[in-house]
Amino acid sequence: MSNLHFDDDITGDGLRRFVPAGTILLSLVVMMLPIPLAWAVMPHLALLFIIIWASIQPRLIPAWAAFLLGLFADFLFGLPMGVWAVVFPMAVIVVRLAETRVEGHSLVIDWAFAAVLLLLAQLLAWQLLDFVGRTPAIVPTLAQAAITILAYPLAASIAARIQRRLIDVGA
Amino acid sequence: MALKPPPPSRFRPGRRSSFARRDSNLALLGALFAGVVLAFALLLLVVQRINPEAGSRMRGATADALSPIIAVLRAPVDAGRRVGDTIRDHMQVVDRNRELEASLKAATARAGKADVLAAEVQRLEALISLKRPERRVVASGVAAANFSAVAGQRDAILSAGLSDGVRPRMPVIAAGGLAGRVTDVGAGASRMMLLTDGSSRIPVKVLRTGWTGLAVGTGGTLLEFQYDIASGSDSIRVGDRLVTSGDGGLFPPGVPVAVIIDAEASPPRARPLANPTGLGPVMVEAPWLAPPAFVPAAPAVAEADRPVAPAAAAPGTAPGTPSGAAPAQGAASPATTPARPQAPAPTRP
Repeated sequence: MSNLHFDDDITGDGLRRFVPAGTILLSLVVMMLPIPLAWAVMPHLALLFIIIWASIQPRLIPAWAAFLLGLFADFLFGLPMGVWAVVFPMAVIVVRLAETRVEGHSLVIDWAFAAVLLLLAQLLAWQLLDFVGRTPAIVPTLAQAAITILAYPLAASIAARIQRRLIDVGA
Repeated sequence: MALKPPPPSRFRPGRRSSFARRDSNLALLGALFAGVVLAFALLLLVVQRINPEAGSRMRGATADALSPIIAVLRAPVDAGRRVGDTIRDHMQVVDRNRELEASLKAATARAGKADVLAAEVQRLEALISLKRPERRVVASGVAAANFSAVAGQRDAILSAGLSDGVRPRMPVIAAGGLAGRVTDVGAGASRMMLLTDGSSRIPVKVLRTGWTGLAVGTGGTLLEFQYDIASGSDSIRVGDRLVTSGDGGLFPPGVPVAVIIDAEASPPRARPLANPTGLGPVMVEAPWLAPPAFVPAAPAVAEADRPVAPAAAAPGTAPGTPSGAAPAQGAASPATTPARPQAPAPTRP
């Protein structure tokens, strides 16, 4: 997983530029699919991919793109406008600030950082929902955060594969 | 973008000294832009707090867009379920048949009694000229429960929308019982909040004791029954059925909601009768009571007490009947009492 981080900046040309946003969009739709399971055990794939892409391809996920994706997520999930539209760009900004401070990446450190960020993001979204007047239960929120943290290595490897196959081609 | 060797990151100034100034300028601009975007997002949130209805049309439109995708993806799931059901039915067909025949016999006996009671109720209601609001089915469609992408939120996409007459707030009723209510409406699809959603509150009553309370969604599979303990002599038991009470005027009364499965827990836990993970065909009904449209009217004037005639008071059963209702009852009862013995005669055999 040490090849997760690429120091040379590859801004893909043409359609390749939209691959990270596309994967996030796709993961949002996947999260909405009717899979008949009783408990809310879906990891927040979109948030996970936002954090990963912001780390490995910061140019392809600017804050405004994260905002638009978050707004779409709010409409898709039937939430008040602005919940994920605040959290997504904030996550992108935090990841970028952290990237300027820390050099070098290992899976464990990335994972630990993502875990803290995911937990904070979920709690922030919970607080924002509370602000708008819809207070969700805290236990499912924490359960979802935990499952999302567990799903990090899988999502990171998927993102790395996409990076190699689709974005990094011929560069 | 125009630079041949592009700066590695806007947030990493000072890497290449020749581009340092331009780099830091870009970083500053980028940070400013990100701040503006964030501020705009927060503004949206404030707008939403002031006006929760804002953006409802967009939420409905995404439901529209999602509905065909879900319809396609439902097909294999439904097919799998149908195959499983068919296999199970074949395995247990003899046992099931015996069981059903026994329960049919018991049910016919009970249905006969119920007919008599229903006729009785109808007669009594006619006697007091009770106005009973009618339930009205607006549309029917198929509901697919979503994976709860947001923790604690349980909702479903409904394959009926604005063009079918569906409006926000309308109650949704599945085959097993109450399923939830419509929240956002699109042109041909809508989004509904399931009764297990963390913010769902449904006024219910216990069928056996008549106690009223709220069926509160938890975001999981079960409901909590919140109620004020009415008497010390009775208690909630496992197997007690909860039906809608009609309080609040949205849900029609008497729709089955849940059955108590854990009476020891506080508050007691109930399992919804309509399986929220696989609703299938549902009906959307109009809100049971229309919200009252208030018109200016003079307040009622207190009626003067009338002396009760001793002859009229003697046959009355209750001595304390309100005097205002007495003349109306007196006028109606001679007309209805002769009809009463005739009415039950055809229903008895």
